[in-house]
Formats: sequence, C-alpha cells, structure tokens
Amino acid sequence: MKKTLLLALFFFVVTWMSASGQDVRITGKVSGDDGSTLPGASVQLKGTSTGTQTSTDGSYTINVRNAESILVFSFVGMISQEIPVGSQSVIDVQLLSDSRNLSEVVVTGFGSQIKRDVTGNIAQVKGTEIQNMPVASVDAALQGRAAGVYVNSGSGKLGQAINVRIRGNSSISASSQPLYVVDGMPITTADLSNSTGGATNPLADINSNDIESIEILKDASAGAIYGSRAANGVVLITTKRGKAGKTNVSINYQLGSSEATRRVDFLNADQYVKFYTQAANNRDRIDGTDPNDPDSYTQYMIGEGGFLDTYSLGTFGTPQQKEYLWQDEAFQKAPMQQLDFQLNGGTDKTKFFLSGQYLDQKGTIIGNKLDRVSARMNLDHQAYKWLQIGLSMGLARTINKRLPGDNAFSNPLQMAALTPLTPFNDPETGLPTGTPPGEVGVPLYFNPMITSRYASFIATSFRNLTNAYAQINITPELKFRSELGIDLLNQNEESYYQTQNVRNVSTASSGLGENFATFVTNYNTNNFLSYDKTLNNHTIGGTLGMSYQQSQNKSSFIEGSQFPSNSYKKIASAATKSGGGSSETNFRFLSYFLRLNYKFSDKYLLSASARIDGSSRFGANSRYGFFPSVSAGWVLTEENFLKNNNVLSFLKLRGSYGSTGNSEIGDFPQLGLFSGDAGYAGAAGQRPSQLANPDLRWETTKQADFGIDFGLFNNRINGEIDYYEKKTNGLLLEVNVPATTGFAIKVANVGKLENKGFEFVLNTQNLIGKFKWSTSLNLAANRNKVTDIQDQIIEGGLANMSRVMEGQPVGVFYTVEYAGVDPANGNALFYKNTPTEGRTTVTNNGYNTAQRVVAGNPNPKVVGGITNTFSFAGFDLNVFFNGVAGNKLNFYGVGQYSSANGIYEDNQTVDQLDAWTPENPNTDVPEARFYRGNGNQASSRYIMDGSYLRLRTLTLGYNLPSTVTSKIKMDRVRVYVSGLNLATFTNYKGWDPEVNTDDLSARDLKFATGTDFYTPPQPRTILVGINVGF
Amino acid sequence: MKKRKYIYSLALVAGLFLANGCASKLDVEPTQSIDEEVALSTSRDVEVTLIGAYDGLQDVDVYGGAFQLASELLGNSDELGFGGTFQNLLEMYNKEITTQNVTALATWRDSYATINRCNNVLSALDILEEDKRERVEGEARFIRGSVYFDLVRLYAKTWGDGDNNANPGVPLILTPTRVVTDANNVPRNSVAEVYAQVLEDLTAAKTLLPEENSIYANKYAASAQLSRVYLMQSNFALARDEANEVINSEMYPLEDNFASLFYTFLRNGGDNPDEYIFAMKVTAQDGVNDLNTFFGATIEDITGTAGRGDIRISPKHRSLYEAGDTRGSFFITTINTYTQKHIDNFGNVLQFRSAEMYLTRAEANFRLGTAVGATPVADINLIRTRAGLKPAAAVTLESILKERHLELAFEGHMLHDIKRNKKNVGTLPYNSPKLIMPIPQREIDVNKALVQNEGYQ
Repeated sequence: MKKTLLLALFFFVVTWMSASGQDVRITGKVSGDDGSTLPGASVQLKGTSTGTQTSTDGSYTINVRNAESILVFSFVGMISQEIPVGSQSVIDVQLLSDSRNLSEVVVTGFGSQIKRDVTGNIAQVKGTEIQNMPVASVDAALQGRAAGVYVNSGSGKLGQAINVRIRGNSSISASSQPLYVVDGMPITTADLSNSTGGATNPLADINSNDIESIEILKDASAGAIYGSRAANGVVLITTKRGKAGKTNVSINYQLGSSEATRRVDFLNADQYVKFYTQAANNRDRIDGTDPNDPDSYTQYMIGEGGFLDTYSLGTFGTPQQKEYLWQDEAFQKAPMQQLDFQLNGGTDKTKFFLSGQYLDQKGTIIGNKLDRVSARMNLDHQAYKWLQIGLSMGLARTINKRLPGDNAFSNPLQMAALTPLTPFNDPETGLPTGTPPGEVGVPLYFNPMITSRYASFIATSFRNLTNAYAQINITPELKFRSELGIDLLNQNEESYYQTQNVRNVSTASSGLGENFATFVTNYNTNNFLSYDKTLNNHTIGGTLGMSYQQSQNKSSFIEGSQFPSNSYKKIASAATKSGGGSSETNFRFLSYFLRLNYKFSDKYLLSASARIDGSSRFGANSRYGFFPSVSAGWVLTEENFLKNNNVLSFLKLRGSYGSTGNSEIGDFPQLGLFSGDAGYAGAAGQRPSQLANPDLRWETTKQADFGIDFGLFNNRINGEIDYYEKKTNGLLLEVNVPATTGFAIKVANVGKLENKGFEFVLNTQNLIGKFKWSTSLNLAANRNKVTDIQDQIIEGGLANMSRVMEGQPVGVFYTVEYAGVDPANGNALFYKNTPTEGRTTVTNNGYNTAQRVVAGNPNPKVVGGITNTFSFAGFDLNVFFNGVAGNKLNFYGVGQYSSANGIYEDNQTVDQLDAWTPENPNTDVPEARFYRGNGNQASSRYIMDGSYLRLRTLTLGYNLPSTVTSKIKMDRVRVYVSGLNLATFTNYKGWDPEVNTDDLSARDLKFATGTDFYTPPQPRTILVGINVGF
Repeated sequence: MKKRKYIYSLALVAGLFLANGCASKLDVEPTQSIDEEVALSTSRDVEVTLIGAYDGLQDVDVYGGAFQLASELLGNSDELGFGGTFQNLLEMYNKEITTQNVTALATWRDSYATINRCNNVLSALDILEEDKRERVEGEARFIRGSVYFDLVRLYAKTWGDGDNNANPGVPLILTPTRVVTDANNVPRNSVAEVYAQVLEDLTAAKTLLPEENSIYANKYAASAQLSRVYLMQSNFALARDEANEVINSEMYPLEDNFASLFYTFLRNGGDNPDEYIFAMKVTAQDGVNDLNTFFGATIEDITGTAGRGDIRISPKHRSLYEAGDTRGSFFITTINTYTQKHIDNFGNVLQFRSAEMYLTRAEANFRLGTAVGATPVADINLIRTRAGLKPAAAVTLESILKERHLELAFEGHMLHDIKRNKKNVGTLPYNSPKLIMPIPQREIDVNKALVQNEGYQ
C-alpha cells in the first residue's frame, strides 16, 4: 500500500513537472531484443530526477527540455541505453538482454543465487547460446563457451563419447569427466557400448533446445555440495519451464549438409608406382639382390603376378590402368534436418512447457547416421499457497547407425591406405572389390565398402528422464523440497555381418549376428530444507538435506553364427549360438549436505558448505567421506569510496577453499575377487580376477580459487579473472604390480597431482544503438602436473607412447627422440639420450638402445573461445571462434603405416615423397626401404603440434519486422543460415586436430589422449533454418 | 496452525525415513564375481579353478599360439614371408625386437596369470575330494611346468649356452598371490633352477595323472612334455625313453592320412585326431587359435577358413620337399601361399602329436647308437611313408632333423630345434641375444629386482 502511494506520488510529481514549462514531447516504444514489448521499463532524463515508466504496451511519453537532452532507458536484466534526443520526436528503443547481467540468477545445486552474490566460481551458458547447433550432444555444444572447460569431441562419428575436462585432468585411473545433473538428478553418462566402435555418449539423448541454462560448478565452494562426485566439476543442466501468460508456440526447422572438415593428401597412382618401385629397388640394393631376379622385391612390386599386377586386378601397365583415390570414398555429403516445436504458457497456478524434436543427421563418413525423436513436458502447479508440485519428463529415442572402431580394417577412413590402382569395384562381379565371389584378397586390406554395404551396426536407445518434486512453504522463509527422479536408459545394439565380411570378421563365414541389451535404472531422491531471511542489513540463507542415488546396470547379449543365408539376419536363425551372457552391476551413494550463506549490507558475502558421502564403491574401512568448503566475497563498489565511481560500476573480490572428491572408479574396486568367466571347452571355470583393498577411498581434491568480478561503464564491459590451485591426493590409481603375481594392477590410493591456472572472461558491448556489436571472450590456461605417484610407471595408449610420470602432465607422450635422417645414407636416426651418450645417434638397429624421453604434452596450455554478435535492423550475425594452443598430438596410429617411407604397401601421405635419395640428402624422411624398418618405430617423428583455431559457428539471421509479422498473425519470423566448423587453422598434418581415437582400452582412454588412428574428422556443416513464433 | 503442524510432521517423518532407511543400502555385493575368501571353499571350487588354469593356458598369448608363433618367426630364415601390420610380429620376423614388444609383454603376463591359477589349485588340494586329488594336482603341475618350460626357453639363454646356474631364467612363483607387497618383487631364478622346477612339476604330473583324461592333460601329455624338456637339455636317453613310453601306450597311432591331421573343426567335428596327445580345444564359443589368425587365410572355396594371411610360406621352404611328398603340397595359394595346417578358423591348437615322439625317439636313438622301441630308420620311414614317400634306406642326423623340420613345420619347433642343435638363423648364431625375447619393459620398470636380457639393456 505504501509502495502504491509512493508511486502515485511519483507520477503526480512527474506529471506536474512535465506540465510546467517543458517544451519537447517525446513518445516511443521500448521492446526487448526478442521483439516483445517491455512494460514497466524506466525512461529517465539523464542528470535529472525526471523520468517515467512504460505502460503495459511498452509505450511511453516524456517531455524533455531541448535537443541536447539525453534519455536513459533501462530495464531489469537488460543493458541500459542512452540516446540523445536530437531532433527526434519518436524514439523506439530495443534493449538488449544482458546475458552476463549481475542480477541474473544462477543455479547452484539444491538452490539458486543471484550472480552478484555468488562467491564460488560458476560459469553459466545460456540455452540460447547453444540452441540449434548441429551437434549430437550438449557437451559438444559447450566447446569454447565457458572458461576452463576444455571439450574435445575426439572424432567426427555421431553420438560418440566426448572428452570434457574442467580445470584439467584431476585423475589418472578414475574418470576425469564432470558429473552431469539434469534438473537436480545425476544422470547416467557412462559409456554403454558393448561392441567395438568406441564409447557412446548417453548425453546424446538430451535435446539441447530444451535447455534453459547450463551452470558449470568449477571451484570447491560451488562443487562441495556434490562432495565425492565434484572433483572434476559439475555440469548442472536446467530445462525450460512454462511461463504464465498466453501460450507461445515456436516452430523451428533447419536443413543442412555436412562434409568432413579436412582431408589428407595421399599418393596418387603415378606417385605410388614410382615411390614403391624406388622403395623395392632400395631394398634389393641393400640385400644385394638383382632387381631383375624374380625373387627380388622389385619384381615382387612391379613384376608379372607381382603386387601392383595383383592389386590393380591385372590393369597395372595396361591401358585399363586407372587411378582410384580411395580416401574420397570414405566420405559422403551428409544431409541433416531438424524439426523442433515448443509450447509454453499457463496460468499463475499451472504452467507448462512442452517440446518435441525430430533430428535426422547423417555422418560425414559412409554408413554413419543418427536419428533422434525426443519430447519433453515440464509442469509446475501451485496446488495450495503452501504447496507447489511439478514434473519434468523427457523422453527420447535415438537410433545410431554406428561405425567400426578406428583401429578396424572396416573403418572407412582406413581406405586411405589402400592402393590407388585398386579398382573400387571388381569388373568381374560389379561388386565392391573384395566381395565374394570375386577375389577376396584384394584390395590390400579388407575393403570397408563391404562393411558399409553388407553389415549393419545399430544402437537404439530409449531414454526416460523424469523428475517429480513437491515444495512446501512451511513459513515464508522456510521451504522443504523433495525431488524424486528416475533415469531409465534402455539400449539395444544389434549388428549383423553378412558372409561377405569374412575377411574382416573371420567368424562371419556363414553370417554373424550380435545383439546386446543394456538396461540402466538410476533412481535419485533429494530432500532438503532451505531457509532465507533478510533482517535489516543481514541476509542469511541455508540449505540442509540428503540425497540418495542407486544405479543398476543390467546387460545381456547373444551372438549367433551359421545363418542359412544372408537373408536371415536375426539370431533366431543362427544354427550356432556362438556366445551369450548376462551381467549386472550396481552402485549407490548416500549423502547429507549443508550450505550456509550470509550477506551483510550487500557488501560482505560469506558462504560455507559441506557434504558427507557414503558409497558402495569404497572399502569397508572408509565408507564415508566429508567434503567441506568455505568462501567469501567483498563487493567493493558498495563501499562509499567506490560507490559512485563513473568508470567502475562493479567490483567484487572473492575467494574459496574446500575439498571435493572423485569416486568414478567403477564398481567394487575394493574387493578381492574371483570371476567365473574362465571356462574351457564348455566346462565352467573360475579365476582370481582382482586384488583386494579394504582401505580404498575416494580421491580428494583441495582447491583454492581467487577471483575478481568487475564491471566498467555501467557494466558495458564486464568480466571475471580467476586463479585457482587444485591439488588432488590419494589418487585412485591402478597401480602396476609385477605380472609375475598373476595380476597386472591393483587399485590403491596412491599419489598426487595438481592443476593450476588462470581464467579470464570478458564481455563487452562495443556498439549500442541501431547497429549493435558485442563481444564475449573466455580464455583459460591450465598447468597440470603429476607431483607424486611413488615411482609408478603408468603407460598405455598407442604403442604405449602415453605415460603418466612424476613432474609431468598426465598422459605425456614418452618415446624415443627422432634425430632425422643421415644425409650420407638415408638412415633414420634416433638420439640415444642416455646419461653418457645423450646426443649420440643410432640407426634403426640401435633403436632399442635409445632412451625414451618426454616428447610432448597432449593437454592444451591455453583454451578459449570468442563470440562476436552484431545486429542491425532485424539482422543478426554471430561469429564464434574457439581454439586450443600448446598441445601435442600423436600421429603414430596413421604414421606407422602411412607416413613410414614405404615400409609396407600402405598408401603413403604425400610428404613421404620427400624421402631421402642421393639427390635429396637433406630431408626429414628416411630412405624408402620396402619391408625394412627405417624410422617407422614409435618416436617423436610422429608427435606433432595440435594447436588450432576454429571458426566453430557462424550464424546470420534475419527477423522479419513486426509490421510484417503482425499482418500474418505471427509474433516472430526468423530465417537464418548457420555454419559449423567453417574454417580450421592448424599446422597439424592429420585430418583434424580435434582428435582422440576411440580404439583404446577404457583404462587408457582416461589418460592417453590426443592420439590419431585414422580417426574421422569433425564435420563442417552448413544449414538454413526458419523459426516462427505465434 | 493445524496445517503447519501437519507439514512439520510430514517433513520430519519423510526426512527420518529417508535418512535411516538408506545407510544399509551401501552394502552392495558384486553379482558377477565372488569374494576370494569364499572362492575356494569346496572341492568343486578347486576343480573349476583348475578349469580356469586351462582357460589361462588356452590364452592366445600362451598355448593359444604365441609360443609357437614366436618360435616360428624367430627361427625363420626366409622360409616364411611376413606381410602383416602387427609390429610385434614384424619385429620377431626381423629379429629386431623392442622391449615394448606387445607379445613379449602379453605372453609373460598371461603365462604368470596361468601359473597363479595353478598355484591357487595347488594351495587348496586338501579341500578336494580324495579321489580327485591326484588328478587335479597332476594337471595343475603339468600346466605350471609346461608354462615355465616355455617361458624359460623364450626369455632366457638356451640350456647349455654358458653356465645354466648363472644364466638368469625367469622368476619362480609357486604360491598363490593374495596381497602384493615389496616381497613380490621377485628376481629371476637361474636357468638351471627353472629347469629343475619344470622337471619336478612334470615328473610329478606324470606320476599323478591317469592314462586317460578326455581332452585334459594325461600321463602321456606329461611324458611328451618331458621328452621335449630332456631333448632341450640334450639328455637324449631320457628324451628317448619318454617318447618311447608315449608311443608304446599305443593310444596315439599315426594317422594314415597326413591331411586328416588338421582341420579339426571343419572335418573332425572339433575332436582331436588320434595322433594328438594334447591340444588346446577351440570352439565357436570359446578359445581362439592364433596360429590360424596369423598363418591362416580365408580361402573362398573352403567355408570356415579364416585368418589374416600375414605369414606366407615362401618358395624356399616349399622347395625343401621331395617330389610326391604330400606335405609338400599341403599349401594353398591365393595371392600368397599359406600352409593348410592352420586355416581352420576353430581348429584346435595342437601341442603334441605322436609324430614328434617318433622323430624324437629316432633322433635320440641315432645319437646314442641305440634302438630303443625301434631303429631310427624304422621310425623315420613311418613318417616318410605316411607322407607318400619311399622309405629311406638309411638315415643320418641331418636327414632325421630335416624330416623333423618338414613334418613339424609351423608347429612351433623351429627356434628350439635350431638352438639345441646350435645352428644359425640366417647369419645369427644360435645364442644371439636377438633370438631371445626381452623381459618386458613394463616388468623391468615395476620390479627393480629383474635383470634385462643382454642386448636389450
């Protein structure tokens, strides 16, 4: 009542003032950047107390003194604008929403907070930033969007697992992936792939367009509320909810096409013949064999019935000889389309959000396709004044036509290694070369086109993510909220290999079928009290509660062979059930958590939180862990000495310290076990399978974070600077034990590592007014170092070239140092790097005597992203670059065969043409010696710089003016073109610098990153879309 | 006010229920594995652990092919061609093995895993039902002794190359592992100690094992292995006697037709031919024949054949056979030429057949000037006539060894026959460090008590 009176008085004064002697009358409308009118926006005459508010239709009227007057337009959550009146009498203003606005609410886990009050480090990515990106999963969309979040999509295959590292690798043997929480519920994200083809990504079941916002909890203060699960950071995904008011309908359709970002140049037919003739000649010279001797390598290569004759299907040297560039066959132009609809609306009591999506996306590699149908319904209902209930339910069906693992002959990209004289199709049968009844031994390796045509490998998953809640307002300050969530994931993987695949799948001689079923049921409940109270200058808040999660994974499979014919593809028809099994695993977490917030005078902020976690994964002697944190903030701009500073509009110092844990080590690592999987010839058998460790506990990460949040010029420039130190100890390590024990590893809490780094975020409104330009930049530098692993040597990855060692970042490449080529004879040289003979070189024969050295770090030193947004008269342009710098990649997976100066018949990358010859003595490529090693061993020759800068997305959109849309009874019509990965700048010689081969063991994948093994590159996608709202 | 009370009590009850009901839920038992405390409690438990030991033995890196492949590739001088992409095999083929060689690691690791399974069985013999005790002990000792024998042959200097008591062999582990401490950093025992253990195990096995034991090791499998061990030690008298014992059992008559010895799955329903003394059984469900993987190839006309076709038989080998020798045509040529011994995808992995016993007896008798069981020429002629050749009038050591080479080609004898006869592989002498596998780098790194082999330091 008081407020109303004051307002009335205010209006009265304003009206009175305007009536008295003001001479210019300005009218206009204030709208938001989505075109909606803004009622209640403030219109102020700069430097005076004169002002007004817009009415319900967004319109206003104000009298100003003269043309020099300046009007200030402002609205909560929007960036204020100042407009000189000049000669205008009508001033329509569109306010831009301030995505980094300090009054914005961020989700914190079991609650939310105003951004300006947050004392931890939480990065927020708005749903609008990632909507309609043509990537299959939300984690891929996060790439480059938030400081300190490093995303590597790994491969261009659709729906594959993606590496996400928040503030570096925090673990070695346990997972370093963050915890994902959707609407309060930790969801299933583990790989569910049972077959080769690499890990799958259960996040691909989530429609990114349903997401309102993503909060990434990075420091201990933000993360401690997730205790033993937060050491790798927590990604909170909040889905959209209904808003009271009229029902808004939005329909979006986009249509696009993808192609692989890059190709690698391989030898063409002429180059191949010349190069391999030389390689064979060289070998004969070394062996002292006459190249005309029928047993010589030269004759093996070019003679009648020799290699080229055989593998060109007899066309070599005849007029029928043609060139076949096999690599090109691996790629396809991949169309995609996506249809979305969203409805939201409701009353003050009941609000709803309803959405549906159909996504149909082909991969850029032949045979790859992802098809997703998803729907979501989010409901909120105010049952009584004191009771609010609601439901979120997401359903999805994803069908993924998958590709073989990178290290399979059937991986289409491995076609690059096939002989460029081998015809694609066998002229005798007209079928892909190598298809029976034609000659199956040609091409050189199994022809992946046969898999593409005669095999299928389909993963179908059904996902139901449902979360119900009830919130009771016990008093206005005290609330109790109970959430019950269920995440059901039901996946079927079915593959069938027709008999034509027998060269690749030896058991497919009469057909081979495989069928895996996986059911993951994951329940979660959160129950917590929250209290908020403001008394004078004191604001206190608290959260106290518990949560319990129980997850069960059940799977079964059957394999059948001996099919009557290729027309029978179901295992019902398999005469031999050649394999079968079922399995189950469980884990549970029981947690209690507490958080307290205190704020004094909007200046001093204090927060403390703690969680107690119990888990079935830990040893009986150490079942519960305690994870506390404290943080504090000081808003300097609230102090008198800065309060009215014209430049510095906001300044906050904050700091936090606390501990979080990591328990992602798989189930039952603490028990000494026997397994019953050791049968022989049909008799049951058991074997000791795991060493016990009853003291096993979580890894603990202690993290300190110091940050500055600042805003300049009325927050037109704002940003954050953070420095953090993360120290992990008691690493859950798979410690190597002597194999003579009968075991390879035991899981123990051994060792320490640390991550230190800077993060920098800057958002600027460069131009405002009619032509608008804003920039958002994030940069992060992280230094990862293993400080102590008690002399353990942990290596893995391709040819054991990735290693975890003290004093080095996790997963450094550790290999022999390549010393180039001896100009005198073309021998590959390696540095010995022994303490006494450091720079002495040895040739191929002495390779074993050369010591391995650290040859590179696969973890980038700097990662970042920059977005520039422009808008003018209905047009908007968004340009987003992301990049990484300072990391190395391992090309040995490809190089040992295809950049190996012709040791095998594999087609070579064109750079091998630079191989040593007496005429070309100064080169880095050793002399080509057919079937004789000369430098293709694992060495730093294959370790390359992996830095890149990529034009990740570019979107140009046009909003039809409201004058047009209103005629066709629409709220909004927008058309846009968008591109993904349009340009990549890198020195990497492989297909794509964003690479992580999928064909490593689950253990190795955790630290052995940055390895290329004919890994499909990322797609470059161009699409057009239309979005209408009514 | 009433409402408020209702809410409070509801919240309290819910909270208490959820807080207390859950704590016991953290005790989750694994479903697929069992605790080691209970794993060896009954007679049946020990018996299935023995089956586990066979499963370990069958591993591709143990008796599923790796020992034989290593012998053939390391012992090869141009009789085989290699066209595969497996660096580990190419290194062996080129005799330029690195300490990172994955076969060197996998064979070491999986052999010791098998030994640990045997040690588990041998530690729990008293749990067994009385009537099974001898057999089970005999089988476990057969497996352990066999694996140690093959390890010491591959990873250490050959018997008689210098001082057997000083040459490092492999670590001898004879008890099951439960916890791992520094005490598990066991150094290498000497070659002599390992051979002594091998002989102790195999001799005990021979005594304990029954004459018949279906597809599992029996008394004669132990004898056959013993004859190999003695032959490796140039203890010709005992090698001869063990071979003679196997032959005299008359349980393993030579097959009439050489070709029927192979294709056990495709042409013999998965059963071993009579001539087989011991083989690792492969079925469509279980087991892999790695000799098939690398020696075999998919032959379009013969459904059920498979293989990568990496190891090819070169003309140098094929020209060794006399005209009319059925073994000389037991090849199949597509683009390359492969042996037919290993093209059956699910073929059993042969370990011993009686032809080897005849050849061993002939050689030993010849060297000793004896005729135990039969004369050398009679034994050799059994093999020759079966191959479709005319009987030889007389034999020499060379002709006996050549017959052995041709008869047992690609079955894993190559390197060891060269070493015990002190011959060369190409230009490398029998005792070249390049013909010995390195101790895997991983093991050197994790166990400081291990000494690396010469040439790999």
